[in-house]
Amino acid sequence: MYAKEMVKQSLPLIVFCGLGAIVAGSTLGVMIDLFESIPGLIVVIPGIIAIRGNISTALGSRLGSAYHLGIIDADNLWNEELKQNIVGSLVLSFLVATIIGILAYVTSILPPINVYPDPVKLISIVLIAGFISAVILTLLTIGIIYLVFKRGYDPDNITGPALATFGDVITIFCIFGSAVLVEVMV
Amino acid sequence: MIYSWKKIVKHGIPLLVLAVVIEIFAGQILQGKQEMLILLPIFLISVPVVNSISGNIGSVLGARLASGLHVGYISLNLKDKEMHDNLLTALLIGVITYFVLAIVIYYMALFGGLRMGIDLIEFVAILVITGFLLVCIVSIMSVLTAFLSFKRGLDPDDMVAPVVTTVGDAMGIVILFLVIGIFGVGI
Repeated sequence: MYAKEMVKQSLPLIVFCGLGAIVAGSTLGVMIDLFESIPGLIVVIPGIIAIRGNISTALGSRLGSAYHLGIIDADNLWNEELKQNIVGSLVLSFLVATIIGILAYVTSILPPINVYPDPVKLISIVLIAGFISAVILTLLTIGIIYLVFKRGYDPDNITGPALATFGDVITIFCIFGSAVLVEVMV
Repeated sequence: MIYSWKKIVKHGIPLLVLAVVIEIFAGQILQGKQEMLILLPIFLISVPVVNSISGNIGSVLGARLASGLHVGYISLNLKDKEMHDNLLTALLIGVITYFVLAIVIYYMALFGGLRMGIDLIEFVAILVITGFLLVCIVSIMSVLTAFLSFKRGLDPDDMVAPVVTTVGDAMGIVILFLVIGIFGVGI
């Protein structure tokens, strides 16, 4: 039966991605003390997870198309096209992370929220986390793409779910790390 | 050369900024509920799970609709039977996934020594009801985005995933707290 087949093919992957999200969620649970001591930190969480997912899946799908167009392959991976893609992703991450930090601060101090975060602390946490997770996820994307090319799979089927699962977890680890770092240093 | 980093940034920025504005709204709801989340951390753990499932289901549905529209076995008609089958299956997958993962989260939190303050049945009920409502909204968004973008000559493959994951994140947090409120937990 048609519907049965669809359930059989997508259910395991969606449940698996959900298990990855539980790891991400548990990390948030561990961060509870940080949320209490750094006002505004919890505000950036949905945004930074979402943009990481969007930027890295877009990179993955562009590289997938580039593969289908014959621009890159396993033997000719590290070329100018790939470098432009990498620089584009990193610049986007940096710009959007800055916007998240500023918006989180501005919306917090306005009524009806009236919470007063430390702007320097908040924006530096978002920038450090955004940039480090961007570098890690870009490298991961290229690694996945390379393996997929080597094995002759279609990158379009693999990169999306793989990046969605690892992306959330890696991004939250990065926010956790940079929050601890900034809290210790500032 | 096909790709240039400036073009990638220029094309990416508008949709990302829109997404960020919506996600900050979601983040402010979390901040408003922060005290409740500290008392009942199990719901903080659930936030990424609720969002991940709905985003994935919406994206899979969108990709299937996009392929159907491109190949022609799904027609641009809100009464299309193939589309209805896809929609119902997405709902079914959603309810099963939220049910299974709710049980996993509950026992993980219990054995992890977390402060609980809620019993299994109540927690599973809250997550499954949230999930059902959320998958309904996300699936309808997915169908509308796929159909509208296809009608305008845009590729639904590019449009559905960002729209569905962003709307899903914000609505997921709103609906989760609404359902928690209806159950009267943590008040």
